[in-house]
Amino acid sequence: MEVQTRDGKQVRVLIAILGLDQHETGALAVTAMLRDAGMEVIYLGRFASPESIAAAAVEESADVVGISCHSWEYIYYLDDLLRALERGGERIPLMIGGSVISPSDKARLLEKGVSAAFGAGTSSDDIVATVRKLAVASSN
Amino acid sequence: MPTDANAGKPYYRPEDISRIDYATDLNDPGAYPYTRGRRTQPRHDANSWILQELSGEGSPAHSNRQFRDLIARGAVGLDVIGDTPSVGCLDPDHPFARAAVGTQGVSICRLQDFLELYEGIPLDRITVSHSLPSWFTVAGLYLLARNHEVTPGALRGSVIQTPLYGEDYCYAVHMPVELRLRLTLDSIEFCTREMPRFHSFVEDTYFVSDGGPDVVDEMALGFVEIRKVVRELMKRGLDIDSFGPRIAILVNCRMGFFEEIAKIRATRRIFARMMREEFGAKDSRSWSANITAHTAGSALTAQQPANNVVRGAVQAVALALAGVQAMEISTFDEAYRTPSREAHLLALRTQQIIGLETDCSKVADPLGGSYYVESLTNKLERRIADRIHEIEALGDAVDLSNRGYFRRLLEEAMITRAAEIQNGSVAKVGVNVCQIPEEEDTMLREVVETKIEPCLDHIELIREFKRTRDQERVRSALTELRSRAADPKESLIEPVITALQADATIGEASGAMRMAYGMQYDPLSGTPAPF
Repeated sequence: MEVQTRDGKQVRVLIAILGLDQHETGALAVTAMLRDAGMEVIYLGRFASPESIAAAAVEESADVVGISCHSWEYIYYLDDLLRALERGGERIPLMIGGSVISPSDKARLLEKGVSAAFGAGTSSDDIVATVRKLAVASSN
Repeated sequence: MPTDANAGKPYYRPEDISRIDYATDLNDPGAYPYTRGRRTQPRHDANSWILQELSGEGSPAHSNRQFRDLIARGAVGLDVIGDTPSVGCLDPDHPFARAAVGTQGVSICRLQDFLELYEGIPLDRITVSHSLPSWFTVAGLYLLARNHEVTPGALRGSVIQTPLYGEDYCYAVHMPVELRLRLTLDSIEFCTREMPRFHSFVEDTYFVSDGGPDVVDEMALGFVEIRKVVRELMKRGLDIDSFGPRIAILVNCRMGFFEEIAKIRATRRIFARMMREEFGAKDSRSWSANITAHTAGSALTAQQPANNVVRGAVQAVALALAGVQAMEISTFDEAYRTPSREAHLLALRTQQIIGLETDCSKVADPLGGSYYVESLTNKLERRIADRIHEIEALGDAVDLSNRGYFRRLLEEAMITRAAEIQNGSVAKVGVNVCQIPEEEDTMLREVVETKIEPCLDHIELIREFKRTRDQERVRSALTELRSRAADPKESLIEPVITALQADATIGEASGAMRMAYGMQYDPLSGTPAPF
């Protein structure tokens, strides 16, 4: 069944991998998981930059942006990405997930303004529920 | 449990292997069709196989210190991996490289880097394997050997070739498949002539299968690539026996203990029959595949990382029993980082314990004759062979690549593997069974979570190097490389060697070749060509 935002549109999620990280399993797995849960996923894939992600998010009217990481490159792009996702005082919610995200990384990410962070072993139910919550909040 | 290898019978009996003819299907170790291994007698010492570990971190000079450390602790081989910019044919000063220089391998972009990386390393004694673009590695090593005053002909070691699948999965270099295949063929042809002891043709089924395809697709994809490259080399007029003995297959080893052993045995038999019967190789060294293996990084977990030490040991025992020429254990910190010093030591010691303290390698192919293992070997051989034919019947491998066939296959496999862990159909200790609360998961945490900082100094050093080199010489060498690349009859290794000698870099040489194929110099960030 289609998952909808409050204004009745199907939830749209943009999934990307930052920089030169070429591990895609996590990104593809989350993409499949969210599609199965009834969301529209725009898969931007590898070699994305904060600019290309923000541009695609706006063009595709994404409710949530998800970054999959298997390297620490995200640390260096984070501030730029958060800034790039701001539009008119609001920010498209950003979630970051990957096996490299440790519990202490998670806390740091949330502190910086990331809306959700997932380490290894997060269940698909958790991910789907979080995206749904973020999407509904963002379309308010 | 891995794939369906163990489905069906509760145990195996003589009739399961009754159709095996010992002389034609198995034969003794060291004899055709090499099912039981390449060597007649194993060496029950520290050199049963080439002990190596994944190495390379930070600048070339820093990595050199890491190499010396590994050699001092008993490594007789090095498996050098480039950082993500180098593996992707980008220089450290590329706008995308800043966050990744030296964090997941060594940063290497120019001739000087090769010299610093291998300073004082005995290249005629230590086997150096490379997970780096093959054309760049071959050109760099050729010049390095001359600089070290050893002849390039004495160089040992290897480099992986990833022409068909690299762009789709983990080793994208932003080049069309036609150019990637040409560079593979050129580098093998060059080495056959100039560096005959070097394994310039390592078919890497490890990377293409880790986290994705099962054992059957792993080897089927590997053979599809080997067969394509062999046929193209023969079309160029090369004698199969001129390069056949230097083909190696770098396989994955997951947790399916017997399945992985059977896969390696089946692979040796398929390879031997293919080389002799189909490609007409006459030299017996062309028939027996060199098998090198890495234990599966994707089998390792971020949770309870100490468990990964056990996984590595179990996989390494499987490899010792299968009989491989070289081995590398993916270290316990793999889910987080390239190997730490602690992880390196444990992985080397694991190999040494298996090689020296156990009797795993006392005789060759100790599992030969087992009802189960022989039956499984036959079954996998059949399934791999069927899959090769199925893929080849769909069309030429280059066309299949351009049509996105391989990309789709790999994507689907990645999604399937991840779902198996998520839904619990494959048990993963610490992940979907036997979990512990996050706050109790503390063993080895400090090691795995220690982050490697990008080498910003090295970026500055390369910028300065680019500012101060002889610009005219660089420009002329890159222009020449571009014009040779535009002529499909030219070999590209010689002009790449000239370019490296002229202080051009991997990023610039790649850009020049891309332009000859009608691509942008820098398709990632649109930087214009500097020549």
